Amino acid sequence: MSAPEHSRWSEDLAAYVLGALGNGEVADFERHLEGCSRCQEELRWFEPALQTLPESVERQEAPPSLRANLMAEVRGEVREAKSRSAPARSWRQWIRKPAVGFAVVALLVAGVVGYEVGKDDSGSGGGASTVVRQVDGLTVKMVQEGSAGTLQIEGLEPLPSDKVLEAWVEREGEVEAVPALFVPDRHGHAEATIADMTGVEVVMVTEEPPGGSEAPTGEPIMSMKVPS
Amino acid sequence: MPVRREKAERLADEELMPLVGRKDPEAFEVLFDRHGGAAFSLAYRIVGDRAAAEEVTQEAFISVWRSGARFDAARGSVRSWLLSVVRNRAIDFLRSRAGKAPKLTFDDDSVLEQRPATERTEEEALRRETAGELRGAIGKLPGEQSKVIELAYFGGFSHSEIAQMLNLPMGTVKGRMRLGLEKIRGELAEGLA
Repeated sequence: MSAPEHSRWSEDLAAYVLGALGNGEVADFERHLEGCSRCQEELRWFEPALQTLPESVERQEAPPSLRANLMAEVRGEVREAKSRSAPARSWRQWIRKPAVGFAVVALLVAGVVGYEVGKDDSGSGGGASTVVRQVDGLTVKMVQEGSAGTLQIEGLEPLPSDKVLEAWVEREGEVEAVPALFVPDRHGHAEATIADMTGVEVVMVTEEPPGGSEAPTGEPIMSMKVPS
Repeated sequence: MPVRREKAERLADEELMPLVGRKDPEAFEVLFDRHGGAAFSLAYRIVGDRAAAEEVTQEAFISVWRSGARFDAARGSVRSWLLSVVRNRAIDFLRSRAGKAPKLTFDDDSVLEQRPATERTEEEALRRETAGELRGAIGKLPGEQSKVIELAYFGGFSHSEIAQMLNLPMGTVKGRMRLGLEKIRGELAEGLA
């Protein structure tokens, strides 16, 4: 290749490195690059300069919700993939894990504690029902309308910054995570939607790391038996 | 079987990537904890809004999660690759926001402005120090060179758009880009010497 011809491409190199060539120009330049060792060498030489640009920006603290939402999505995908590829883990298998077993025992104990069932008297729900229970200073309200439910908890203490609340449901003896993480507001109120309450026998909530967990990692802060 | 968090923390980025490719959430979480701050900072620098930067960063990491196996170690570090994914997402975001001009800072003082932030680890502190030095290297560039580099890298403009914007011949724009990058590269080489 002649020096003037190379010089033409060489002029485009910095613009290519910075992503500033037009779409058609990129394709042309890359075709040239494939066969030009001088340009390849120059490109390698420029790489560290390019890498300084993102590193040079003023550092910002990322909001905690970024990590929580990201990991919730990732763990949700993992759970979904597992549920597609394998039968759900049985309740008994979960109990074999010490931490989970403890949580489940607490859940079952709580499940037999009395609960109060009240029919929604608004008259507009057409079958909406509300379950309310007091436990350990928390007021827990489960509102069911159709196949969906809303879990409302009052009286919660603020959570440590490295914890979120995760809801779980038990259906036919198997525990499933509800794909929604939540945190209490400054009034100690927290709310989560359970999209499908069909066949749910028990609802419980545990504290989990941001992003949630695949299985409960500790004792539930509340659990409620749902009337059939 | 996912690796435990403690084990994942001991692995290098390049060792984490195959695990991410096998959909290991612990490996992915460690990767985010290492680079999420830099990624968010870059997104914020480009889109100029915290909520949008959060959205862009999350989308970028989700795309990495879904295509982790595409990382090619021969083409650079995991961090550079991640940041390039974030940069591309942020530029796409700017372009999709019709009629809204990207946030661009031409004033060198505000480009180099530094606000105090919490330094959580030694590594992070070192990175901040390095970032300060890098800002210094870029700040030493003549304004005409830093301007075209910023418009291209942080604004996502092509050389022809920049030429039109600044009313300059395209050759001049490309020449300034090259001179600017050469000077930054030279500063880095001096720093290493």
